[in-house]
Amino acid sequence: MNWGGFQSLSQLWLLSLLVPLVLFYFLKLKRPRAEIPSLVLWRQVLQDHRVNSPFQRFKRNLLLLLQILLLLFLVLAALQPFWRGGPGRNRRLPVLVDCSASMGALDKPGGASRLAEAKRRVREMIDGLASGQELCLISFDNTPRKLTGFTNNKRLLRDALDQIEVADVASDLEQALRLVQALGRSEPFDEVLLFSDGNFPPRVNFDLSFKLNYQRLSPAGPNLGITALSAQRAATGGWDVFVQIEGSADAEGSASVELFQDGNSMANERITVARGRAQRMVFQTKSDHAVSLRVQLTPDGFDSLAADNAAYLDLPASRPLRVFVPKTLFSYRHALQGIQDIELFPQETGDEASGAFDLVMSDRPQDMDIVARTRLSVGFIPPDLQRFIELGTNGSAVVDWRRDAPVLQHVQLADLVVLDQPSFTANAGEADLENLGYEVLIHGQRGPLLVRKQDSDALRFALLFHTDHSTLPYRVGFPIFVENVVQAALEQAGLAEALANRTGALPPLTLTPHGRYQIQTPAQMTEAATADDHGIVSGVAAPRAGYYSILENGAQRRRVGASLLSPSETALAGVAQIEFNEQLQVAAATVVVKTDWPLWQALLMVALGMLLVEWWFFQKKPGGWK
Amino acid sequence: MQPLAPRPQMTTLLTNSVLDRLERLRINPVGRRTSRSRGEHLSGKGGTSTEFCDYRDYTPGDDTRFVDWNIFARLHRPYLKQFHKEEERHVVLLIDASASMKFEDKLNLAKPLAAAFGVMGLLNNERVSAYASHQVGGAPDRLPPCRGRANMRTLFQFIENLEGHGDAPLERAVDSLLRHHRGRGVCVIVSDFLSFGDLKRGFNLLHSAGLEPLGIQILSPREIEPDVANDLRLVDSETQETLDISSGADLLNLYQEYRQRLENDLALMCRRRSGRFLPVSSATPVESVLFDQMRRQGWIE
Repeated sequence: MNWGGFQSLSQLWLLSLLVPLVLFYFLKLKRPRAEIPSLVLWRQVLQDHRVNSPFQRFKRNLLLLLQILLLLFLVLAALQPFWRGGPGRNRRLPVLVDCSASMGALDKPGGASRLAEAKRRVREMIDGLASGQELCLISFDNTPRKLTGFTNNKRLLRDALDQIEVADVASDLEQALRLVQALGRSEPFDEVLLFSDGNFPPRVNFDLSFKLNYQRLSPAGPNLGITALSAQRAATGGWDVFVQIEGSADAEGSASVELFQDGNSMANERITVARGRAQRMVFQTKSDHAVSLRVQLTPDGFDSLAADNAAYLDLPASRPLRVFVPKTLFSYRHALQGIQDIELFPQETGDEASGAFDLVMSDRPQDMDIVARTRLSVGFIPPDLQRFIELGTNGSAVVDWRRDAPVLQHVQLADLVVLDQPSFTANAGEADLENLGYEVLIHGQRGPLLVRKQDSDALRFALLFHTDHSTLPYRVGFPIFVENVVQAALEQAGLAEALANRTGALPPLTLTPHGRYQIQTPAQMTEAATADDHGIVSGVAAPRAGYYSILENGAQRRRVGASLLSPSETALAGVAQIEFNEQLQVAAATVVVKTDWPLWQALLMVALGMLLVEWWFFQKKPGGWK
Repeated sequence: MQPLAPRPQMTTLLTNSVLDRLERLRINPVGRRTSRSRGEHLSGKGGTSTEFCDYRDYTPGDDTRFVDWNIFARLHRPYLKQFHKEEERHVVLLIDASASMKFEDKLNLAKPLAAAFGVMGLLNNERVSAYASHQVGGAPDRLPPCRGRANMRTLFQFIENLEGHGDAPLERAVDSLLRHHRGRGVCVIVSDFLSFGDLKRGFNLLHSAGLEPLGIQILSPREIEPDVANDLRLVDSETQETLDISSGADLLNLYQEYRQRLENDLALMCRRRSGRFLPVSSATPVESVLFDQMRRQGWIE
């Protein structure tokens, strides 16, 4: 077994310094001269066999011996010996550090977080980094970040390690491994070190092409957290707020759940969570204007993860859905009349229809320019699809439809007669539509009949045949279809249901077009953001749970909350074995990865100690060596 | 009445008071080695001195002048009176005046000690001669044998003029001494006895020449208790040879062992040749050596 070695054997030439050392010792030894009457007695003393015994010789040349030992220790230190810590030494070693929300969990009250434990172990590796070894630090939560390239610059690595912080998001190991795999193409390596608590799916869709050393961190303490928060408009006009509390496998006990509305406590309830069970709660709140809700969970006992103890939800103001349908689409207007809380434009008594709408349903292409969150075009091909679809008059029939699509729920389309015939142009196909972001909901004989496209700010449906040229308005499913569209519009407008924002990225925010804003994070960091032509600010990173303030010229324009709401992160579950493609399995290492222990510092300390001893013996000790 | 003027100092070697005390003392050798010439020391043989010794029967041929006629008158038988024979004794002073004796007043003690023995010899009507060894191959400084109080000044001048130099070992000095000396007696050797040569041979030569060796070894305090704590390069004052020692403090025990062994060897060599041996430190006052150590050990009486 190989116990260690030297990192810099080339420094062995330093041993040749022994020659001048010995030479100079004898040539340059500055002995004080002492004239004495006669050397008779001293010569007899030095010829005594006791003086010439090896030990006495050693003592007589103690200074030389100490100097030789000193030089040997210095040369040994220069050779950079090490005590082998791990089973092998890799020249390049990517180190993956999980910094997802669960890594912030503590093992005991006042204890260290999982990330702190991982950083401690990585720091030990950095401290023991040999001159020929290079580390590449990569942190990952839901996205991987390459913090350093392959380097043995310890200062750089330590600084990068210090920058790793817990992000209140779930981890995505697959993305991290893909980044590592990409790294390996330019700088090959054999092994990858993974520090994680194992809080990721046990199966990863990845073709493992390198050895993965999975260092699973010790489990954290018990944890309770909010895993879901949503609200639905109640029939009474208010909102029903749904809260789900879950815990880690070993978590049980009581806690209090408090609901704050615009900062004011509205309700406080006690709950008891059994081991492995979820607790669901419903709060009722009633408000005509938009409100901001915060649900705070306060466990009675030790809670290892604080990030999931609060959740935030913004409820819009209660109002009727504004729907624009031209009077020519009589069947739609007729179907809408049976639905409550709808303002239908233009009204029957006039033609006035101005402002923004929540839903536009029209068979006139020009109506698609009306500002609306949800649009349904009827009987014409949207301009961006005209390259791929053309509208004929040979008639068509429904081949299939997406029965699980919300807009087609409970809608029976079999035997539907369609006089129009939307059909793909030459060389066009469904893939072209998908490239444009469209999803085909109803397939016709020669082309799609209904497509859906979800943009960042709007939802678009396109019926590529005119319903008036079909039997659809005469079918039972038509009013259901219209109501489904209305429901989609309600959801798009946030009037029917509100979901708490999850961490990761903030939802698109509608602000002033081309406005410049500062986003203040819960960690009091500020980022700049600019609204697009439609006033949409999107892609704002939200790595931490809490309120994000949108500031315009220093004044708060809006405040959005982001919550962890991840059952897997709250559960703090850690997989002991990761399964990759081709049934390749990697189990958590049973042996803590150990770095090579450099010995040069110890050798230098010994050399320094030897120097002090030498100095003390020959300079300071009264009476010299006894 | 005017007070008496202080008596002038006879020599720088010994004070007048020491000289006064020395007048009442004499050397007390272990054996009785004398020369045949008449002197003041009784020999073991019968002699013609005035001191009666014994009677013996007359035998024909004896000198009738020594017949005790009073006894003959009473006993009618002739008896011959016998008298002690008093012979002359030589006191040879051998002073090691090599460079090694310059250290720490070793020579300054050796000179008065030698002078004291010379004074005692002269005052007791013994023949006193002195030799001082210096350089190897060179003739030793020599004071021919002399006798009587009148030669005290000559002796003092000889000793006072001695200066330490040269590298002559003691055994060579003995050789030189015996080339000139005739007569039996004592040989007072004042030296540090630090010689690479064979001292035993020198003592044997002295013994066979009828001289009792009275060895006085003078060592300086630093020779008795050397201060050699660290690495040193020792330089021989006579030969300028060097010797490097490391951790000298370590060797002190051995040094003392060898020094004691040298003392014991010298004492044994002297004792076996009917002599005496006394090691002294150069820091010891001459009065203390003479009237304390030597008197207590029977060197002088």
